[in-house]
Amino acid sequence: MSTLTSLARAVAVAAGTAQRTCTVRHVHVGARPLVFVPLALAGEAGAPLAAMAGADPQAPTLLVVAEPRDRDQRFAFAADLAAVVLRYVEGYLAAEEDTPGREQATRYADAPQLLVPNPAGIAFTRLLGRSTRFRRTEGPYAVPASVPLLGRWLTFFAERAESPASSLMLAATDMLAAHWATGQSPVEDLNLGALLGWIDPPPGMSGAQAAAMAEDPVRCPPAGPATDPTFDNEVLDQRMLAVRTARLAGDGRAYERARAALAEALATQLRPTWALMWRAVALLRGLPGGEHVRARWDADKDAFTWHARHVAAGGPPQPRRDGAVAAARRLAGLERVQEMVAAQRAFDDPLVMAEHRLAGEAFAGTVTAAEPDRVDRGGPRAVLRPRITVETGDEPRADRGATFTSPARPGQQARIVAVTAAGGRTRIVLELRGGMGRSLTPQPGSVPAVGESVSYAAFGDGYQPAPAFPAPEDTPWTHGGPPAPYVPSDEEAREDWS
Amino acid sequence: MLPSVSVTKSVETLERRIVALRAAVREAVLAGDRERASTLRRDLRAAERAWDDALAAAEAKAAAEAGAAAEAGAGAEAGAGAGHADAAADADAVHAAATAAAPAPQAAARGRGSLLPLREQVHEALSLLTVPAAPRLIATVHEAFFGGAFPSARLTSLKRDEERSFRAAPLARPYYICAALTADLLAPARGLLAISTWPMERRVIGSLSPRVDFLTAAIRVAEAVERLPAPVPAARRLLWRFAASIPGAADGAASMQPHEITEAALAELAVHQAADRAARQAAARRAREQLGDAEQLFGTRIGLAAGHRAGARRPAPRRRGR
Amino acid sequence: MNGTEARLARIRGRALAKTHNARTIAALASNPGCARRAVMDAAGVDKPRIAAYAGFPAPFGQSRFALARGNAFEAQVKANGAAELLTLLREHLGLPIPQAHYDDLGEVGGNPSLDLRHARTKALLARAAASRGDAGTMFDHPLLRLQVGGRYAFLEPDLIAFQLHGRFHVVEIKSFAVIDGQADGDKVAAAAIQSAVYVLALRDALAEQHIPAEAVSHETILVCPKDFSSRPAAAAIDVRKQLTVLRRQLSRIARIDDLLDLLPAGLTFDLDPDGEGVPRRSPADLAAAIRQVDAAYVPECLSTCEMCYFCREEARGCTAALGRAAREELGGVEHVATVLRLAGAAGTPGAPGGTVASGTAGTPDAPDLAEAAELLRRAARLRAEALHTDAPRAGTPGREAG
Repeated sequence: MSTLTSLARAVAVAAGTAQRTCTVRHVHVGARPLVFVPLALAGEAGAPLAAMAGADPQAPTLLVVAEPRDRDQRFAFAADLAAVVLRYVEGYLAAEEDTPGREQATRYADAPQLLVPNPAGIAFTRLLGRSTRFRRTEGPYAVPASVPLLGRWLTFFAERAESPASSLMLAATDMLAAHWATGQSPVEDLNLGALLGWIDPPPGMSGAQAAAMAEDPVRCPPAGPATDPTFDNEVLDQRMLAVRTARLAGDGRAYERARAALAEALATQLRPTWALMWRAVALLRGLPGGEHVRARWDADKDAFTWHARHVAAGGPPQPRRDGAVAAARRLAGLERVQEMVAAQRAFDDPLVMAEHRLAGEAFAGTVTAAEPDRVDRGGPRAVLRPRITVETGDEPRADRGATFTSPARPGQQARIVAVTAAGGRTRIVLELRGGMGRSLTPQPGSVPAVGESVSYAAFGDGYQPAPAFPAPEDTPWTHGGPPAPYVPSDEEAREDWS
Repeated sequence: MLPSVSVTKSVETLERRIVALRAAVREAVLAGDRERASTLRRDLRAAERAWDDALAAAEAKAAAEAGAAAEAGAGAEAGAGAGHADAAADADAVHAAATAAAPAPQAAARGRGSLLPLREQVHEALSLLTVPAAPRLIATVHEAFFGGAFPSARLTSLKRDEERSFRAAPLARPYYICAALTADLLAPARGLLAISTWPMERRVIGSLSPRVDFLTAAIRVAEAVERLPAPVPAARRLLWRFAASIPGAADGAASMQPHEITEAALAELAVHQAADRAARQAAARRAREQLGDAEQLFGTRIGLAAGHRAGARRPAPRRRGR
Repeated sequence: MNGTEARLARIRGRALAKTHNARTIAALASNPGCARRAVMDAAGVDKPRIAAYAGFPAPFGQSRFALARGNAFEAQVKANGAAELLTLLREHLGLPIPQAHYDDLGEVGGNPSLDLRHARTKALLARAAASRGDAGTMFDHPLLRLQVGGRYAFLEPDLIAFQLHGRFHVVEIKSFAVIDGQADGDKVAAAAIQSAVYVLALRDALAEQHIPAEAVSHETILVCPKDFSSRPAAAAIDVRKQLTVLRRQLSRIARIDDLLDLLPAGLTFDLDPDGEGVPRRSPADLAAAIRQVDAAYVPECLSTCEMCYFCREEARGCTAALGRAAREELGGVEHVATVLRLAGAAGTPGAPGGTVASGTAGTPDAPDLAEAAELLRRAARLRAEALHTDAPRAGTPGREAG
């Protein structure tokens, strides 16, 4: 959060409705995302209870585990979920596009996208992937082949969700909270119903009133995976007891009735969240996409292509734990990606850039003087080094010699030559290089003209090279030595599911 | 699914009532109103039972009607309902018949175990173990070696019932399911059952006794597994639960060997046995000296001076199954 | 009953004092600045009841399934003289084989007296400490005591304290899973601070027998299901930091008099029940009484304190309700209305709706607010500019299409 976001929250309180913190959308929203709303059984690690999944808002698939403690039923649930998820993913394996200049000549033309209600939903997906991807398809604890495959894909999605640059898997609360400021706290924003209540309140109701309604778990069931305890205690317990009783009594009709009643009870906890998810999708689709979103989605398509090909070629599932080198690399990678995404968001979005301006990391103003044809003959060759003077009301921390970049001309570097105060405003002289063509005359439009509004940031949106890490086989002994190659084990296949 | 309009309506009405009651119960709980929640819960249970009954009745009716329609010949439109309804009833009857066969009915009784009264099943399991044990272990042992359903829910009142029976007529039965006593206070040890015909030393629990008894039980279970003519999965699972907690007993559930488990258990027993025996003998002596017959079986109640109760003291110790 | 006790009893009213448990004591550490909570906890007020009666029932409930699972796992670990736990302690901590004693300090022979149980607990622990391994290893359901605000709280943890090399370790059994060596950070943190509460209480119990505090290790053991099974795994947790925080918190509560001095003499949360126990006091009156004690609401209260909805409603229009960092980011200004006033008309739509607490209308701004005003004005201006500006930048031929 920052002052601007907090201010937006304050405004939201007074206005009674959420305020935008972005002018564009900074995540990719696919044409056909797969919405997945899981419910977990309280008290167990990632034990599925029920789920609603599908890419068609009018046709969700309802999956229910009638007796969650029964191992076989859990894996039957996984197999049913696999049918939905894998069929959806396979739809993206048909069309390919060329990728000139890349390692792989082609990639899939589009990638699947998995949407869950909240970060706990991502954690649940990760757990479900972990509990299924090591299962064996033959032997004493055999499961259908689709189950380990599902596990690998769910793990893939959950791992991608860790990267701020990826849109392959997103939590609706994260997506929405990144673009709107409500009149409540970030903690309360984790409630999807309350968040949507602020962003899109029903007519005649304020955001606060709509959010209060959403906090009543009887009216508005929690988005999960955790169920409401009163639902567990007053409804679920009875329904599951009825199923168990009917099974033990051998009464087939009663079993079917009990099972249907349980499924309906669980559906009442899922349907409202399902509807909220598609409202969230619609709201985000209503925003224009930021310029860099497409490039980030291209990287997602690369990752999807790589994983799909890895699986098809018989590669092993993701290991339980990273080796030391892989872990360090992953962490450093995430940090760099975080910085890159932050910069790209600022470049794409004046409202985001405004935060940086307030913090002194960027400035915007008008060009008051320009020498577009200035040539520097001081060195071995003559080089084109235009200068411009920008007058701004901002107070950037701009030291002489520091390099700034303009979102309008990201390929061009601007070096600070002089900074002077002038009557309550600041006058900055910048020397430009790059992005103007090869000759000593700049191409038209590549140098800002007098009177033009410009903005400059102390960061670029470009790629930064990865820090050097040793190869995995060279892991120093202080970090545990080289990781052993992965060999699937009986232990993993046999792991109890409680 | 339901041919009769009136039955359908009543089921629907009940369903609406159930949904409303559920919401009301939950809201009462959320508001912290416990009394209201209890009242509503009672109403909800009643409505759910009525719904279940109504639905069962409707299905039975549909099956009966479909049967009658089938007997009267396919396509006959005279009689109850239009041909459309008959066809639907036919489909329902087939569906109902199919689902009746659906889940494999769990055998309510299997083997001779369920024919015995609970106290005899407990006696069987404890005799195999030869040491005091908790209800859960008793149930697992019974399931593994004696088969059949074990109504473990009734175990909670068994000790109380046995004590009442003993006090009413002390010698009436050849044995009683009784308590094990804590060595320091001679109070009933929580959660343990024993057999009255065992010597007192076996029925007192010192601080090493839980471990010693666990190891002893492991040996007995290992022996019992070896005696089985064919492998029983439940018995092997039980044996693994023991072996996994005895150092050196087994490497894995698949590779474990009963005689190796016995050896490992004996090895650890050797470490504890002397100290445990001493503690138990001392406690047994005190129990025989200070407690009456009923207290020796069911323990003393603290608060009336620990370990010493004047009124219940017998003038001369009676010869009983120690 | 001394003066403080009398005052606290008056505040509590006729209701029975709510006993603390480790969870509530641990929660005391979470919002040290809140007087309302400090007073209510010290007085043993039934916070859920008060909150519900005042019209703001607390959102905390526990699922039967979670409870059942927790109880079942604990029973499993402790079965048969804690055989599974013993195996863990031997494997991971090198507990020598002869040390396999198990003592159940739970309800003694049908007598539910807590004092009796506590006395027995102290006696057995002291004997074990003196014997160095011959007389006791694991102690189930010990009953400990901790002084909180002048009253003793009996703590019956589901812990087992055991002795290794002459030192006691608190053991906490929790049913959340440890998967691939990692567990939910929040849950581990909660378990750690609860364990620290038990460490303090255990040290107190031994101190009465003149056994030094070091006899209780600051390293506690957490036992959880491993991966997706119900097999237990153990991990050691260093709770020194938590001990420091707790001791500080408990000493603050011990100085509850300072807070009580600020309160009106007749203040009480008594509900004035009639003969049948039905409260006669009006909820509005109770709410007014509650408001006599200052709260320090932050959104984190929503997961730790049963008064949260009441205090949140009271805090509407305060910047603290928007998030822990929000007030600081808004220049330290306390009220939303003030923020918007200082920010100026620019960027604040005049739409109605939402209740906003009154700010410092009519008074000249204090000097420290001047800096905040400057920050907020700038922020509002930047926001307005960004929202109303057209294309943020001019397109140029040099840029590749995004």
